[in-house]
Amino acid sequence: MILLPLLLGVTFTAFCLLRGLPGDPVYSMVGERATPETIESIRTEIGADKGFAAQYLGYLKLIVSGNFGRSYYSNRDVLSDIAAKLPNTIKLAFAAMAIAVPCGMTAGMVMAYRKGRLSERLVSMISIGGLSLPVFWVGLMAMLIFSLQLKLLPPSGTGGLRFLILPAFVLAVPALSSLARVAAATIEETMGLPYVRTAKAKGLVPMKIAAVHVMKNALIPIVTIIGLDFGSYLSGAVVTETIFGWDGIGRFTMEGIIMRDYPVIMGCIITCTAVFVIVNMLTDILYHYLDPRIRLHDQGR
Amino acid sequence: MPRLTVLLSRILCFVLLFAFVSCSTSNRLDDYLYCRLNSSPTTLDPALITDVQASVIAAKLFNGLVKLDDRLNVVSDIAERWEVSKDGRTYRFYLKKGFLFSTGREVTAQDFKYSFERILKHATKSPNAWIFDNVAGAKSFREGRTAGVEGFGVIDRYEFEINLTSAFSPFLKMLTMTPASVVPREIVEARGADFASNPSGTGPYVLDSWMPNQQVVLKRNDSYSGGAARLKGIVFRIIPEDLTALTEFELGNIDVLQIPSSAYPKLNNDAKWKPYIESIQGLNTYYLGLNTSRPPLDAPLLRKAISLAVDRKKILETFYEGRGRPAEGPVPDLLRTWGSDKNTKVIGYNPVRAKQIVKEHGLTDTRLTLYVAADQEAVDLAEIIQGYLADAGLTVIIRQLEWSAYKSAINRGEPDMFWLSWWADYPDAENFLFPLFDSANLGPAGNRTRYVNRDVDRLIEQGQHSMDQRQRDRIYQKAEEKIISDAPWIFFWHKTDYVIRQPWVSGFKVYPIYNMDKGMDVQVSRHNN
Repeated sequence: MILLPLLLGVTFTAFCLLRGLPGDPVYSMVGERATPETIESIRTEIGADKGFAAQYLGYLKLIVSGNFGRSYYSNRDVLSDIAAKLPNTIKLAFAAMAIAVPCGMTAGMVMAYRKGRLSERLVSMISIGGLSLPVFWVGLMAMLIFSLQLKLLPPSGTGGLRFLILPAFVLAVPALSSLARVAAATIEETMGLPYVRTAKAKGLVPMKIAAVHVMKNALIPIVTIIGLDFGSYLSGAVVTETIFGWDGIGRFTMEGIIMRDYPVIMGCIITCTAVFVIVNMLTDILYHYLDPRIRLHDQGR
Repeated sequence: MPRLTVLLSRILCFVLLFAFVSCSTSNRLDDYLYCRLNSSPTTLDPALITDVQASVIAAKLFNGLVKLDDRLNVVSDIAERWEVSKDGRTYRFYLKKGFLFSTGREVTAQDFKYSFERILKHATKSPNAWIFDNVAGAKSFREGRTAGVEGFGVIDRYEFEINLTSAFSPFLKMLTMTPASVVPREIVEARGADFASNPSGTGPYVLDSWMPNQQVVLKRNDSYSGGAARLKGIVFRIIPEDLTALTEFELGNIDVLQIPSSAYPKLNNDAKWKPYIESIQGLNTYYLGLNTSRPPLDAPLLRKAISLAVDRKKILETFYEGRGRPAEGPVPDLLRTWGSDKNTKVIGYNPVRAKQIVKEHGLTDTRLTLYVAADQEAVDLAEIIQGYLADAGLTVIIRQLEWSAYKSAINRGEPDMFWLSWWADYPDAENFLFPLFDSANLGPAGNRTRYVNRDVDRLIEQGQHSMDQRQRDRIYQKAEEKIISDAPWIFFWHKTDYVIRQPWVSGFKVYPIYNMDKGMDVQVSRHNN
């Protein structure tokens, strides 16, 4: 229910911001030899001659009719382009998460349970590295090593598993690093709680304590982090998508922004907002399963 | 807990299944040429094309009345021959019989009338309508006063006539441009706005598939009326990152690659690749534009001082590694039909004189804004220019803008100085004079330095209306001299284009204008499975 006013707010803010940006799509559309007449007719065509309110209302009317309009430049239907690119982005986000979650969790556990040992220090160092290395650098290095030197994976393109591995790996690096650090911190915190001490005193097997008593209760912040990362990957990873020529929403949005292709930018913003909200909603639902004290509906207290 | 485990394992299964099902092999297609584009073409409707990427592709899908040969001469395309009346106002084209659209229908004079009128029609929103500005009746048609353009005459099925309002010498060359291609009316009308993404023409190739931001695939048109291309098809892969494109090339996934300037030294010094680098003198001019419409650069003397202060030859040799020829004036040497005249008074490098002018006229500490698009090469260059001008006593403030913001800023005349280049649409000196220096084209129409000199206007227009090439040469030479001495531009260089090909590519040529390559002779002799 919150989705509707939220989307309205987002469209309004985005609309204001776009109109406030320097740069005019008309000049990019008309080519290098544009007569004032051509400029005027294109301005009229895209409605840039109308006032702000009229433009905004016109846009709302368009969305309500279930349409994002057509791109200024390619004249392609924005909605169908987004529909073609979103699955690619979803694929990439899932793949990145499939790498980040198991690796990040393992690293986090190593850091929590092996505190003070060499392995903890090593993993901790790597995770700091993963957090601080810029994505474009990791991307290019991964490409040089795995594509150019080892010839294992294709350097770019959109397609199946082979094309997916490199960008997913690059995208997973910062996510798994932050995940590892959060996991380590929460596991440590949970380990200090009285019920874990009780469990130990009862003489339970350490494995069982770790899995049932600690992990399950440490999951909420971890799921939050995963949800946030996942949500942001679903709204497109511009740099990764550009380096690896992956045809996703991020690159599409970026190109729209560069060209000031307003229908494309707006369409992407709306889609990504919706996706982000949905992912957060799913995370909230997941909270309930993790901790039944969190209720899905406030049932009349 | 069990519910959660079930949920998670289901998600995992789904992900793995998804990944494996969509796993596909990336084998190359035999006899297909793989090229790189750095961005997706915006449209493939010739009427709407203004970008290079789209023109490169459209050249292979469409034909016009005439085209250019390797030496930039206008030669027959769909028109077998043509006659130009003595007064230079009437062009009569005799079309080849049996030239077919890829749909199998024959191209007739009526198709040219339709295609050309379509460009002028408001509803088409063509940014290329200027091509037909001089056609009789074009103006009243655009204003909606007539139903057709009287200057486009269909004499019979194979004879097409164009009448101009007055003699216009570059006109025939302008007809080689991509927008002057013939399109099949029935398909344009049936597909409407989708014609831009699903075009159909007459060319040696037809569009097979187009996935924006991924690739454009062309396949050979086996019934092409101009003979069959040797390739089975062409794949244009869209790769935005230069380094990625280079990796793809080194791995042999791309056959032909325009060398990104950052990679030129590496490839050129590599004995393995050097023999496969081809170069072509581009029809372009790189320049520093000076805003002549307001102080302080409305003073020709200060503009001259800036010219004197910058050692362009040295920048070309060192920073640009000699990848171009120094520009003497706006017109590239290939188009200087009057010959590179030793008498042309080029403003050379003279820092002492520059400093002196600045000092004498009390211009020290004049602050000038220099706008560049956000591109590392341009930014580096701006800093070099800033250094030279600082030596002359001028303060330069560099502003780096993202492309579309940059474009609006220079079109509106915001900066004092800007870094830009001009590329030929058609091979005629007029293309480097009229749009850029005639006061009829101030601002977005091309004259972005807002240079006004009535003498130059008069000369340029005289040259347009003269049908005598020698006379035109004299006129343009004079116009160019005036422009050089007024210095609205600091002329830097004509950039050379470098293209690298794989050893297995033969018959490949680089052309000075992007839409000249129809992809007829190039061959790929590599087969993999």
